Amino acid sequence: MPSANDASRGAPAESKATVPIGPGGPRGLRGGPVQKPKNFKGTVRRLWSYFGNEKRRLAAVFAFVLADSALTLLGPYLIGVAVDAIADTGGVDFKALDLALLALVAAYAADAGLTFFQGWLMAGISQRIVERLRSSLFAKLHKLPLAFFDTRSHGEVMSRLSNDIDNVSTTVSQTTAQLMSGLIAIAGSLVMMLALSPLLTLATLITVPLVFLLARTITKRTKRLFKEQQAQLGALNGHIEETISGMLAVKAFNREDKAIEQFDGLNAKLAETGTRAQIWSGFLMPLLGVINNIGFAAVALAGGTLAVRGHITVGVIASFLSYSRQFVRPLNDIASMYNTLQAGIAGAERVFEVMEQEEEAEDVRGAAVLQGAKGHVVFDNVSFGYRPEVPIVSNLSFEVPAGSSIALVGPTGAGKTTIVNLLTRFYEATGGRILIDGKDIREYTRDSLRRAFGVVLQDTYLFSGTIADNIRYGRPEATDAEVKAAAAAARADAFIRRLPLGYQTPISENGSNLSQGQKQLLAIARVMLANPSILVLDEATSSIDTRTELQIQAALLDAMKGRTAFIIAHRLSTIRDADRILVIERGRIAEAGTHDELVRKEGGVYARMVASQFKPVRARAN
Amino acid sequence: MRYLLPYIRKHGMLFLLALLFVSCEALCDLLQPTLISRVIDEGVAERDLGAVLRFGGVMLLVTAAGAVFASGRNILASRVSQRFSAELRGDLFRKIQSLSFINFDRIDKASLVTRLTNDVTQVQNFANGMMRIFAKAPILGVGSLIMAMRLNPELSWIFAVVVPVVGMLIALNLNIGFPLFAKVQASLDRLNGMIREYLAGVRVVKAFNRFDYETGKFAGVNAEYRGRSETALRVMAVFNPLIALTVNFGIVAVLWFGASGVSKGGMQVGHIVAFVNYMTQILFSLMTISMVFNMFVRAKASAARIGEVFAETNPMKWRDERFADGAAGGKVEFENVSFSYGGADGETVLKSVSFACMPGETVGIIGSTGSGKSTLVHLIPRFYDATEGRVLVDGRDVSSVDPRLLRDKVAIVPQEAVLFSGTILDNIRFGNERATMEEVYEAARVAQAHEFISQAPEGYHTRLGQGGVNLSGGQKQRLSIARALVRKPSILILDDCTSALDPTTEAALKAALRTYAKGITCFVIAQRIATVMDADRIIVMENGEIAGIGTHEKLLKENRIYREIYRSQIGEEMESHAVCE
Repeated sequence: MPSANDASRGAPAESKATVPIGPGGPRGLRGGPVQKPKNFKGTVRRLWSYFGNEKRRLAAVFAFVLADSALTLLGPYLIGVAVDAIADTGGVDFKALDLALLALVAAYAADAGLTFFQGWLMAGISQRIVERLRSSLFAKLHKLPLAFFDTRSHGEVMSRLSNDIDNVSTTVSQTTAQLMSGLIAIAGSLVMMLALSPLLTLATLITVPLVFLLARTITKRTKRLFKEQQAQLGALNGHIEETISGMLAVKAFNREDKAIEQFDGLNAKLAETGTRAQIWSGFLMPLLGVINNIGFAAVALAGGTLAVRGHITVGVIASFLSYSRQFVRPLNDIASMYNTLQAGIAGAERVFEVMEQEEEAEDVRGAAVLQGAKGHVVFDNVSFGYRPEVPIVSNLSFEVPAGSSIALVGPTGAGKTTIVNLLTRFYEATGGRILIDGKDIREYTRDSLRRAFGVVLQDTYLFSGTIADNIRYGRPEATDAEVKAAAAAARADAFIRRLPLGYQTPISENGSNLSQGQKQLLAIARVMLANPSILVLDEATSSIDTRTELQIQAALLDAMKGRTAFIIAHRLSTIRDADRILVIERGRIAEAGTHDELVRKEGGVYARMVASQFKPVRARAN
Repeated sequence: MRYLLPYIRKHGMLFLLALLFVSCEALCDLLQPTLISRVIDEGVAERDLGAVLRFGGVMLLVTAAGAVFASGRNILASRVSQRFSAELRGDLFRKIQSLSFINFDRIDKASLVTRLTNDVTQVQNFANGMMRIFAKAPILGVGSLIMAMRLNPELSWIFAVVVPVVGMLIALNLNIGFPLFAKVQASLDRLNGMIREYLAGVRVVKAFNRFDYETGKFAGVNAEYRGRSETALRVMAVFNPLIALTVNFGIVAVLWFGASGVSKGGMQVGHIVAFVNYMTQILFSLMTISMVFNMFVRAKASAARIGEVFAETNPMKWRDERFADGAAGGKVEFENVSFSYGGADGETVLKSVSFACMPGETVGIIGSTGSGKSTLVHLIPRFYDATEGRVLVDGRDVSSVDPRLLRDKVAIVPQEAVLFSGTILDNIRFGNERATMEEVYEAARVAQAHEFISQAPEGYHTRLGQGGVNLSGGQKQRLSIARALVRKPSILILDDCTSALDPTTEAALKAALRTYAKGITCFVIAQRIATVMDADRIIVMENGEIAGIGTHEKLLKENRIYREIYRSQIGEEMESHAVCE
């Protein structure tokens, strides 16, 4: 007879993550698909290492489960004793009954307590493991090179940090205790059965290979179907993402019907595969039931025969039957947990995939700390490319004296941003070397190197927090007065003070409550406060209208005073005052010189650029 | 959640059939204990091998029947739930396609995607689960209850105590659990928000080397999420043992009161054993039911989120008006147009804008960021309706015209180039499916895209990743221009779409466009004066108002703002040019 206790484990407390209902139904459509793990054992071993000192608590859970299992076996026994007391030939034996019932109450209460503590502990264990996993993944993100983020969609990285880790959480919290109690129940029942009758045990065991065979036959088929389903799900999700984020284009070109048509095709395919996958996996449970009952009948038949011949007693058969139930049930549970387990392991695998990504190179031994740099920069035959046969920047050599400004111009994709990314070691040069103040940048600590730079990008990124927080981002220890001074130098003080909350004004998501120009001024203030030796302006004013740019230009000129500056821009107005201009084409320097020199160069690239930008103006002006 | 009614009506029959199958399956399950007891009582105990075989055989038959029913409901449940979710997802997608931009300002796009994917799956899971295991639990529970009460009415009062107590526990579980999980969900949102922010600002984080700070911030959010999940899970961990304990105490009560019944006579020992058995079965079904409720809470939240989308209505109405056939048209008039994104109470983005332009005219629009330039042109293809005043295209008020007809005439190149996965050819033909190869080539040539496309290994058949990730910003912009050109519109809107192009390419594009777009009404939004100065007329926008309108020369003479813009870009440049020429 199954005890009440098992049920409480059969329905584990749910975490907020999705709980698959039908065996292996689709879990959340975005990311974290139920994939087949590639290396089951290795991943489990690795996941185990995150259990850390939870292993001791896990041992406690194990002890609880063990005690609980003992109580599970005790329950039916005590009920039997009570029934015997009631059925006593000399009328009800109330003394024995009272004793048995008291013991039963105690056992049930203890069981409830144990189950609760087990749940309590497990909640803590699983959540802490997941917290640790998430933190270490996040910490890993810091060490990854910029190229990692440039080549992946944010959604994908996000889904690993949330969806996949949640899958791990569900698996750990749901299956660990269940797996334990299942294994204990199997072992316990096996021992009891062997003690009762080895011959009957054999009859019970005939179903075991059948269970495995069935599970394998079905999962082999469903594996393929689920994989197909995930692929179709991915295609459908891609379509959804694309049409919704590109809604403007869809609507502008009246493509709604076409989008729906495509959606319907993908959707129908998915439904078809999903149905087949679900039907096949749904066969598992009823067929397992049939096998169980065959085993049950086999025991009854064999037992009956043995009993009729007088080899065993009826009581043995009765106990045996309940033990054989207890033996088979956890096997089924484990078979049905298979999908949850797979999802969790696959999730862990996707997390570990990121963990295995190559990190930014470590600082060399005895790396120098770059402090108070003068800002003398030399590019010495520098090359870079993701693949050697497709160089993005090749054999670049130039020198920037300390305190001077250099502008990089050229068509999109020429490699201008790559050059500054190499300088700040966002990317590592694949050939040649870059020197700052006479020393190879690889011989400085990365931290001190980056502190020497102040970068202003085209899309200023502001973090949630107040305006003061954002200005302080580069130097958190700065005083309020310093923050104000930096803002004033960046010409931002005036507009900040006009805001109702001044410096304490909270920034909404990526600064949507500020204008583009205001955001850019904040970014400049942020850089000014950090007080870097070298300034990098990467299209810093491209998305701002030219009148606002005039104000920002003034702030930038102030910022550039006494600093080495790298300026990337399209607008000639931004670059013509640079001490030197490099025209970059296909990763090489096409021309170099001052504005005046380059403009005079007959047929030069720069001269052509200037002409094309201003020819119409000239034509009309003349 | 009324929107679910049609689906219930449509799939109700099959759903009920599946439930019927589950009921039969449950009945087979209910028969099992009785059969087992007969194998033991009449076969083994009586040492009657024939009886063992007989009842064993019946048991296997019942099992087989149960398996058949289970397979039947499996097939039914899979079909119904998949079909239901496919239809729900399809209808939701259609709904979203039918909405206007006003609606998208209310529900953000990322959330729409989640609703189409995750939330639909939650609802589907619930429907599927209902047909699979959940329906079985109440049937088994009620069945056991009836069997037990028939077996021994005297002891059934125990149910009258146990069942309400368990019911209360389940209700309590829901009431306490729901807000707890809502809190978990909220801190999950915060966690995701923090990650999103980090990923978007990763360059800045790296540049300022603020890893420790970010890690600390993340650790805080992460710990909060962990703490809340832990609390929720721990509180929930109380309920299942409590439910089990209640039922188990019921079993003890059965034994105790049963004993006195037997002692007084009139009650049989076998009945007590059977009663205890049924109690256990009831316990199992109660556990499942409690799980159903947990699932229900989640599915309900998802269903509500889907319902929100269905509840959105496209506020745009139109009469069945058509444009006159044949005429090229392209006349655009704005009559006292005001607009605000939040309806009448929102902040006004456009204030009493009036102008008219003739077919074939090129109108430049210039002004600072946030002055209302994009909003102005978005009113022409009716992405939004004016809050006040009228916008007329070819003499018809756009608010009475089907937006589709309007958009057939108007092609827009948005500020942000949006491309789709598929080949380059697919992307250009996105603008006009029936365009011939010649037309595609021509559009690409004008957009200055032909050269780089031809250089790609597979030319026009090069596949683009999602959103065109494998192209540079300038390449994307040029494809997006080609897409609009191939439509051969009578009105072309270029919304600051050449910002990523270098001056040489932009100049070539402008020159090519001048010939190609002859006869087409063009609106050109730009920040560089050089881009708009050739326009027949230039509109200067400032704070949502027209600050000036006229030719380059006229504005240069009369308009202060235009002059400022001009000076900021060109003034000094011209002087320096004057020097070098």
